[in-house]
Amino acid sequence: MLTLQTWIVQALLVFLTTDSIGGLLDPCGYINPESPVVQLGSNFTAVCVLKEKCMDYFHVNANYIFWKTNHVTVPKEQYTVINRTASSVTFTNIPLLNSQLTCNIRTFGQIDQNVYGIRIISGLPPEKPKNLNCIVNEGKKMMCQWAPGRETYLETNFTLKSEWATEKFDDCEAKRDTPTSCTVDYSPVYFVNIEVWVEAENALGKVTSDHINFDPIDKVKPNAPHNLSVNNSEELSSILKLTWINSNIKNFITLKYNIQYRTKDASTWSQIPPEDTASTRSSFTVQDLKPFTEYVFRIRCMKADGKGFWSDWSEEASGITYEDRPSKAPSFWYKIEPSRTHGHRSVQLIWKTLPPFEANGKILDYEVTVTRWKSRLQNYTVNGTELTVNLTNDRYIATLTARNLVGKSDASVLTIPACDFQATHPVMDLKAFPKDNVLWVEWTATNGSVNKYILEWCVLSDTLPCIPDWQQEDGTVHRTYLRAPSKGPTVRTKKVGKNEAVLEWDQLPVDVQNGFIRNYTIFYRTIIGNETAVNVDSSHTEYTLSSLTSDTLYMVRMAAYTDEGGKDGPEFTFTTPKFAQGEIEAIVVPVCLAFLLTTLLGVLFCFNKRDLIKKHIWPNVPDPSKSHIAQWSPHTPPRHNFNSKDQMYSDGNFTDVSVVEIEANDKKTFPEDMKSLDLFKREKISTEGHSSGIGGSSCMSSSRPSISSSDENESAQNTSSTVQYSTVVHSGYRHQVPSVQVFSRSESTQPLLDSEERPEDLQLVDNVEGSDGVLPRQQYFKQNCGQRETSPVISHFERSKQGSSINQEDFVRLKQQQISDHISQSSGSGQMKMFQEVSTAASFGPGTEEQVERFETVGMEAAIDEGMPKSYLPQTVRQGGYMPQ
Amino acid sequence: MRAQLTQRMLLSLVLGLLFLSTAATGSCSGKYQGLLEQLRSQADYMQDTSRLLDPYIHIQGLDTSGLKEHCKERPGVFPSEDALWRLSRWDFLQILNATLGQVLHRLTTFQQDLPQLKDLGMVMLYIRGFQSNIHCMCQLLGSSSEAAKPTQASPAPPLPTLASDAFQRKLEGCRFLSGYHHFMHSVAQVLREWGKSPRRIRRHSPRQALQKGAHGTHLFSRGRRLAPSGQLPW
Repeated sequence: MLTLQTWIVQALLVFLTTDSIGGLLDPCGYINPESPVVQLGSNFTAVCVLKEKCMDYFHVNANYIFWKTNHVTVPKEQYTVINRTASSVTFTNIPLLNSQLTCNIRTFGQIDQNVYGIRIISGLPPEKPKNLNCIVNEGKKMMCQWAPGRETYLETNFTLKSEWATEKFDDCEAKRDTPTSCTVDYSPVYFVNIEVWVEAENALGKVTSDHINFDPIDKVKPNAPHNLSVNNSEELSSILKLTWINSNIKNFITLKYNIQYRTKDASTWSQIPPEDTASTRSSFTVQDLKPFTEYVFRIRCMKADGKGFWSDWSEEASGITYEDRPSKAPSFWYKIEPSRTHGHRSVQLIWKTLPPFEANGKILDYEVTVTRWKSRLQNYTVNGTELTVNLTNDRYIATLTARNLVGKSDASVLTIPACDFQATHPVMDLKAFPKDNVLWVEWTATNGSVNKYILEWCVLSDTLPCIPDWQQEDGTVHRTYLRAPSKGPTVRTKKVGKNEAVLEWDQLPVDVQNGFIRNYTIFYRTIIGNETAVNVDSSHTEYTLSSLTSDTLYMVRMAAYTDEGGKDGPEFTFTTPKFAQGEIEAIVVPVCLAFLLTTLLGVLFCFNKRDLIKKHIWPNVPDPSKSHIAQWSPHTPPRHNFNSKDQMYSDGNFTDVSVVEIEANDKKTFPEDMKSLDLFKREKISTEGHSSGIGGSSCMSSSRPSISSSDENESAQNTSSTVQYSTVVHSGYRHQVPSVQVFSRSESTQPLLDSEERPEDLQLVDNVEGSDGVLPRQQYFKQNCGQRETSPVISHFERSKQGSSINQEDFVRLKQQQISDHISQSSGSGQMKMFQEVSTAASFGPGTEEQVERFETVGMEAAIDEGMPKSYLPQTVRQGGYMPQ
Repeated sequence: MRAQLTQRMLLSLVLGLLFLSTAATGSCSGKYQGLLEQLRSQADYMQDTSRLLDPYIHIQGLDTSGLKEHCKERPGVFPSEDALWRLSRWDFLQILNATLGQVLHRLTTFQQDLPQLKDLGMVMLYIRGFQSNIHCMCQLLGSSSEAAKPTQASPAPPLPTLASDAFQRKLEGCRFLSGYHHFMHSVAQVLREWGKSPRRIRRHSPRQALQKGAHGTHLFSRGRRLAPSGQLPW
């Protein structure tokens, strides 16, 4: 414990001491070198030199020095005490590191104190940059790049230097993220040799690459030729003429070109011999092309002497060679069908469609001639591939030519022998065998000269009939395989757009290929349009028809071609849509959004202006059936439990009223009522502006029915005639003193109440009331009673439904009791009726019966205490809050 | 006369060597044909009026038929082609270098006055590149006997006065650029002839041979003598 205290004290002492002498800022010594960067694998020695002042103070010397690397003490074997103040440490074969080396002393024999620290960084000097090369992208500045050599593990700067024979250019410092290239700041000057080299430099050294000396024009990568166009020639179906625009570099150098082409559906490019395009030009005619074939071209250029770089390829351009006459006669054959008429026979002439590479264009039709020996020639023009003619039993010669826009093919000549013809050299030893996935047919050649052989076959199947197919072979052939596909591909649409359709099909099964499919041809047409043919490479299984017309029915079929012939597949129809995908959405969505926005704005507007709108469009029309008793008193006692919603209307000049409490049974009351009535009459005109007719103010609708409803015995339904409603208009609310107290009366077209229709009832009440000298008031209340009679019970029920905690059985019982009380009471005064009604209305709250009692009492007391009422403040007597109407 | 020629030769040599020594920084390719081809290409590039003269005329509003006629080279400002033909290669290069130096100087003022001339900076860079090639060609010729031969008469060109009138200054600029392009055209013609006989001097152009025995001692059409190097006064 004592030792610990001593240490602490000593530590504090050291700290204070060092602090007092500026120890933290003024170290006790230093290390040399200060910021060493050491080459990997080399030896490194650091020397720590103590300051005399510090040595004296701490009573230490170089022997007290010990070293740490990354807080680990270096073995003392690596130390060398140079003299009294300096000690060194040596590290051999420095590895890759970035470590901290500190010089420390042990003071007072036990406290280690750091004297100085340095950070040792190791790495490698830069290697000589290699493969320096530059490129001048036309129109841009020269960019040079190089191989930086090995990793140095140090921050290495690469500087590209360049100069002419007479002047130097600014150095180009390679950026950190692209240390192997740099783009100079100056524009390249052609035809002047420039010398360029790279200097790589880091903390361990600087090294320079080999100098390269070149003319920037020899490092140019021209811009690609542009506006490449392809035009055909009507005179020559085997050529296409290319034209293009060269880049501006042609003003400086001679260019040479690479021109490549391929058929549209091929994937490999052919190239024009470079020697044909070894000089600057802007057009070239490509020869030896197939007629009526679409070719795609691209071109690039570079300096003619081969120095520099090839430009990028131009954009591809395509063109179709012009049509040529069909290069081959179609295969031609016949079938003889038995004829019903004697001496004649029906002969079906059939032929194969020419594959595109032989049709050399669109076959418009076929011309067939049939000739009997020394008789007149019969000509037929046929669009299809068969013709049935009725011939006699004689020998006939038939010829067939295919015609396209340019001309006719050679004629296929077919001899239709006479009926009694017997072949003298029939084909012998016919054999068929499968080999290499095709069916081979072999026969023994006949002795005589043969023009051609016709092979006929059909697929033997239990389910399918034998549909014969055929192919033609030269007369020299005695073995072949069945080539023509026996079935055409079935095309279908993968995607149909407004102006394009993606067609797809399945590869023909090997069984039906009968050879190698060379290509497909897609024929498509509209109902009224011409048929268009498109050749597709056999490797493809889909093709996009473009430039279609929207909302149009198209018919499409495909033919598969082998070397021998082709076979059509079934026709497929599709209709292009009227609108492109998303087009409808592009129209409908904004419209819907606009509509939605408008609606939303409208709703918001209506919501904000709801009071105004309600006032003008559907003002509150008082429903007598929903009237209820209101307390009508000059000063409303604060006995109703209004909620916060009530307070919202505290400042209003108009208040919807459901129930008006009427203070009764005081003689003084009636004159006051009369005063109020007079006041009402006097100010009727002025209040009309507030009441605004039937629905102008809810005060109108609520006050009077509540009064009239006191007469519950009068339950007759009145549905006709009009009735005048009283309106209480006031400027105050509840405890607020209104500035102008108004009691008004308004006209209404509501159905005339029963009491109004039966003046006798009113008279009866008048008499009763008249005994108390309250006739004017009774006259007024008569109308109220009449109105209330419309449906008192229903009204109560409606109100009860709105109440939150109403016991309906109690409510009905209470009503019955009130009615019976009313009948039993000899007074039969309207005031009592009114009180009963008030009690009924108050039954919305809990404790219905108790409230009945309380309301009666309160109403009386109010009349007594307040004396003459000065105003009538209609208030809603509803449990839980204000009842808007 | 002999003394005068010797004096001029020495002056030419001194100035040439001075040019070589002061300008040298990098190394030259050392291939005569390559260098000659570069000089030709540069001369072709610079004689193209679309680089300077045409934009200048357009910018200055001189592209009307009446004014264009006044935009012709003023004789004597640039060495005539005939005079260039008569020069030795060495002298030719010296004169060319000096002339380009003056052109550079003048274009610098254009650069200040007419920033709209966008290609001007590029043209000036090309002129400096031309001078670099001249330097290298001089190095190549320096070791040959060709370089040591005496030059033709080197009269000083006239010193044109700068007009104070703005319109006249426009016209002068136009005439200057016209002369520059024409001069470069002449240079290109001479350099083309060099390629045909790399080791022989062609003293006279074919055209000159047809002329009426005007054995030109005048580099400039006004008969003034051309300084082999240094400032071209105008």
